Amino acid sequence: MTGSKRKNKNKAILYIAILFPLLLLLFSLCLGTLRVSLKEVLEILLARISGWPSDLLTTPAANIILNIRLPRVLLALLAGAAFSVSGASLQSLFRNPLVNEYILGVSFGAGFGGAASLVLFSRNFPPQVLAFACGLLAVVLVLVISEGARNTLVAVLLTGIIVSALFQALLSTLEFIASPYALQALFFWLLGSFSQATWPDLAWSAPLILVGLVFLLKLGWRINVLSLSDDEARSLGLAVKRERILIICLATLVTSAVVAIAGIIGWVGLIVPHAVRGLVGSDNRLVLPVSAGLGASLMLLADDLIRTLLPFEFPVGILTSLVGIPFFLYLISRARTSWS
Amino acid sequence: MQIRVERLRVRYENFELRVDNLHFSANRVSALVGPNGAGKSTLLKALSGVIKPVAGSIFVDGRELSRLRGSERARLVSYVPQEHSTALNFRVFDFILMGRSGYLNIFSPPARADYEKTEEVISYLGLEALAARKCQELSSGERRIVLIARALAQDSKIILLDEPTTFLDLKHEMEIINLLRKLAEDRGKTIITSVHSIDLIPRLADFLVMIKNGQILSAGPTTEIFRAELLGTLFDYPLRVVEADGRQLILR
Repeated sequence: MTGSKRKNKNKAILYIAILFPLLLLLFSLCLGTLRVSLKEVLEILLARISGWPSDLLTTPAANIILNIRLPRVLLALLAGAAFSVSGASLQSLFRNPLVNEYILGVSFGAGFGGAASLVLFSRNFPPQVLAFACGLLAVVLVLVISEGARNTLVAVLLTGIIVSALFQALLSTLEFIASPYALQALFFWLLGSFSQATWPDLAWSAPLILVGLVFLLKLGWRINVLSLSDDEARSLGLAVKRERILIICLATLVTSAVVAIAGIIGWVGLIVPHAVRGLVGSDNRLVLPVSAGLGASLMLLADDLIRTLLPFEFPVGILTSLVGIPFFLYLISRARTSWS
Repeated sequence: MQIRVERLRVRYENFELRVDNLHFSANRVSALVGPNGAGKSTLLKALSGVIKPVAGSIFVDGRELSRLRGSERARLVSYVPQEHSTALNFRVFDFILMGRSGYLNIFSPPARADYEKTEEVISYLGLEALAARKCQELSSGERRIVLIARALAQDSKIILLDEPTTFLDLKHEMEIINLLRKLAEDRGKTIITSVHSIDLIPRLADFLVMIKNGQILSAGPTTEIFRAELLGTLFDYPLRVVEADGRQLILR
């Protein structure tokens, strides 16, 4: 393919990646037990955004759209984008397509943090804080323990499993001591679901996710250079250690901010970047934004399917694991030939 | 641009290199030779600032290397490893463009000037046909040239290379030798390269540094120290240097 053709193709993919989630958002707001037409949805949204008093806003449809469906749909979009961008960034940083927030222990670390916050402080304190702290603690543990190993990938994968197991054990301890009421909330939240999304939750998480994503997207070029060997990146003028830490912190931040309110939803950050690299190549200036758009869309589609096809609330986290784990095994079987 | 090394001690893994005094002049090709494990790569890594010395100093035009910020250093000195890591399969153009990183702020992607410099390097080296290809598709000779191209995009006066011709066939080997000479003579670059096959040295280097067991055995103009006795001592193997067609040749 010639240079200009490729550029045009990539531009088209980028526009689709930006537009598609927005269209999907509108479509998803129509879905549900109460059917609302697209026209009505648009009118309700416009009325809400413009701030003019309108009779529309007092209808039951408006209540469902604005207070139940919209936070849920937004959370699904943000979660998909967050997992995918952090997955793509971490894979480049660790020079390995198998790495993701789940493998690095971030998911269970943040999960434990969020749960501890829920049990200790109930809903009076934002769970994002402890989720981020424990997510970061988990990834630091993994990196410190696996440092200096000869085969860094195997070491990281093994320590990731061990650190995740540690946080799972801590979670079980929490479940054991939690009150029956807290336990029920904890159980459903941990399986990973957007069904409990509320505006107050989003008010904390959304800004954290958006800020983290903007910074990660702006670091796309740096992440390219950091995917070279450390010596090369250093000789090209990068402050390798500091920049790595910054990127790991940002990836942990966006992931924990989702986990804190939606629970553990794994493997999205593995599948999406892989598909995107197949589409647009390896350049993270393109891979990261396209992953954000595609990840957001896929996550929302998955949640839409669950919401409409099943008569009960099935946790989306289970669905992503059922799809993601076989995919992970497939990648492992291929990793022997490439990226090894 | 010249490099001065003073009372340098560098440790890398379990190895220590000591260099009391060494001077590399500008616009010259200097070669580092010595047996495997003598410390050639360690010296190159120290000169490039990739590893920090335990003691002593490296001055680039009077400025101490270890005190410079990463980006400042990258604009003075570039380093060409033997192989680049190929975790991600970048296009050759984007790979060469990475040489511009030292000119960019952490949050900014390359700008027009960086693209122009990259295009200039590509046309200087005649790499137009490679630019759109992926790095993992390249032959080993092409990969070496692309690594040198990245160093040229870095636009530093000093270029350090780690055995740039090892494992290459004869034609690619000579292409790289001629390119390094051209860079020193036409573009005023200061080239310091480790060399595996000593036969190439008279063609390549103005200045020669012999390294053995982490120390400098001898350093001086190639015409003066490219001698059978010294080379024999360096490699612990008797060698003869003969002249034919006005060139110095090694006999084993």
